[in-house]
Amino acid sequence: MPRGESSDGARRMINIVALSKTFGSGATAFTALTDINITIRENEFFTLLGPSGCGKTTLLRSIAGFVDPSSGSLTIHGDDILSKPPYARPVNTVFQNYALFPHMTVAENIGFGLEMLDRPKSEIRSVVGEMLELVQMTEMADRMTSQISGGQQQRVALARALAPKPEVLLLDEPLSALDFKLRKEMQIELKRLQSETGITFVFVTHDQEEALTMSDRIAVMNKGRILQVGGPKDIYDHPAERFVADFIGDTNFVTAEIQSLEGDTALVRLPSGRQIAARSAPDGAVSGPVTIAVRPEHATLEAQGALLDGLLKNIVYFGTDTHYHVMTQDGSTFVIRRQNQPDAAEDHKVGEQVGISFNPGVAQVLRD
Amino acid sequence: MTKPRAFDVRRQSGFAFVALCCFVLLYLPIILLVVFSFNAGQSIAIWEGFSWRWYVSAWQNEKVQDATVLSLIIATCASLVATSVAVMAALATTRTGTFRGSALVFGMINQPLMIPEIVTAVALLIFFAMVKVATGYTGLWYLIIAHSAFCIPFAYMPIRARLQGMDLSLEQAAADLYGTPWRVFRMVTLPQLWPGVLAGAMLAFVISLDNVIITEFAKSAGQDTLPTYMLGQLRRVVTPEINAISTVLLAISVALVVAFYLLSKSKKQ
Repeated sequence: MPRGESSDGARRMINIVALSKTFGSGATAFTALTDINITIRENEFFTLLGPSGCGKTTLLRSIAGFVDPSSGSLTIHGDDILSKPPYARPVNTVFQNYALFPHMTVAENIGFGLEMLDRPKSEIRSVVGEMLELVQMTEMADRMTSQISGGQQQRVALARALAPKPEVLLLDEPLSALDFKLRKEMQIELKRLQSETGITFVFVTHDQEEALTMSDRIAVMNKGRILQVGGPKDIYDHPAERFVADFIGDTNFVTAEIQSLEGDTALVRLPSGRQIAARSAPDGAVSGPVTIAVRPEHATLEAQGALLDGLLKNIVYFGTDTHYHVMTQDGSTFVIRRQNQPDAAEDHKVGEQVGISFNPGVAQVLRD
Repeated sequence: MTKPRAFDVRRQSGFAFVALCCFVLLYLPIILLVVFSFNAGQSIAIWEGFSWRWYVSAWQNEKVQDATVLSLIIATCASLVATSVAVMAALATTRTGTFRGSALVFGMINQPLMIPEIVTAVALLIFFAMVKVATGYTGLWYLIIAHSAFCIPFAYMPIRARLQGMDLSLEQAAADLYGTPWRVFRMVTLPQLWPGVLAGAMLAFVISLDNVIITEFAKSAGQDTLPTYMLGQLRRVVTPEINAISTVLLAISVALVVAFYLLSKSKKQ
């Protein structure tokens, strides 16, 4: 699979260039989006991931038309949509609170978009039937929306947004109101719907696990900026910035110094004096002191004299795996995760001197 | 062990007495008014036995009939106009971003609640007199226009409250699903807004039905609504017929207020 920017194989669909949004003015002005540049491809499951207040919902609402960006451009298939009101944009939204019409039945809710498009009654009936089947709600067609459960409301909201067959479906944290088990089910369900309908999904979430399991590509956002765009594996294995590495999964940060750089491989010197090859971030530092990130499961516990040495401070048993907390020479804690084998005896003791090792290339040089 | 209690006004000495005084003051005159509407005698103060005669006499009184018809026409027209204007005003003040002078607009919509009624009445009297001189028209429209104007804030309040309580994302969802602003209003906003609109209309109706001061100043010669007719009667012979008419007006008001209460309660999900 090609990574990074769009190759010729996938068609570009949504093009966002230099988009910014500032709310208010003067002393109370708040910049929600700063210089956003993204290309979303056709039939892609694209996720905007970030903590609350990072601007991901503002970006989604800019696409839907409920937020008016201060500057920049936003095109779908080359059409400028910023000048269009929400009802003239070829996108539909699944709202966080579902926003089902309480005075209409399930079937009327699902048919609403087609009715607004003045489609013939017979077509509306058949599409609504299809949609009810797609989300397995056929029996509930004549219920009022207040008479169905949260998970069912979620399905109706999805069906309502899918019924007009939009070019893009926008989903604003649609799973956050569901309990854990239902959320897992709906994650799989959403993935299925996306591949069955072939519609481009733009999905907003603050849940890194949800983003990793569902997305084709993820844009990690913080403080109104996009920090990194890439596939789940790309983002997880090769975070470009400290925030990305920290927000997605657990990470060890180690200070190091770049010795030499060739392509995207940097030779770094660790505090112990040992050297190892690491992956450098695009537009990252080319020399001098840097921070490298190493995932806990990518490191192993060794005898002293490895890449890094330290004191084993703590062993935490988690069932599927065990975490070893090692205090390195510079006083920071390095966590190593090891998968447990059945009936394997614990061969390390708290308080002993140990070494830490990892393979060339697993360490990632961070941009900041 | 009793826990130290928070301050509770109901436990202060004399609370029951003050409360009782207030209720007596509020309701005893009304109760007496209703009781004496059934008096068999001519007096509004000396009880002579039960009778429906004053209701019958009021019912058969042509002047009362005319005044009732006029009152109902004015109240109906005024509540319709005031409610329509109030819906638009409420939409404008809740569904747009805050604009310069939005507080001023809010104040101006509610102006009739703050300006002394007698001032409005005198102003209307002078203004209508000028219009009458200019046009020669002396019909009902003066009263309908005047009533519509002072009923607007009463209709506006419940409608605005309802709009503010409504989930904005419903209207956004409708717009997102290709609903043009007018269709969104008709298909989504209005069905949700109905209880507020009905409440506003009923409130406006009652307010119009009750009005004396502005009506007295704005009406043309020979026009009488129920309240102005009653005021005129009080200057002559006072019979329990006035009590009977008052009681009917009271019953209508109470019925509308109760309906308003039930409506606002039942639709809150």
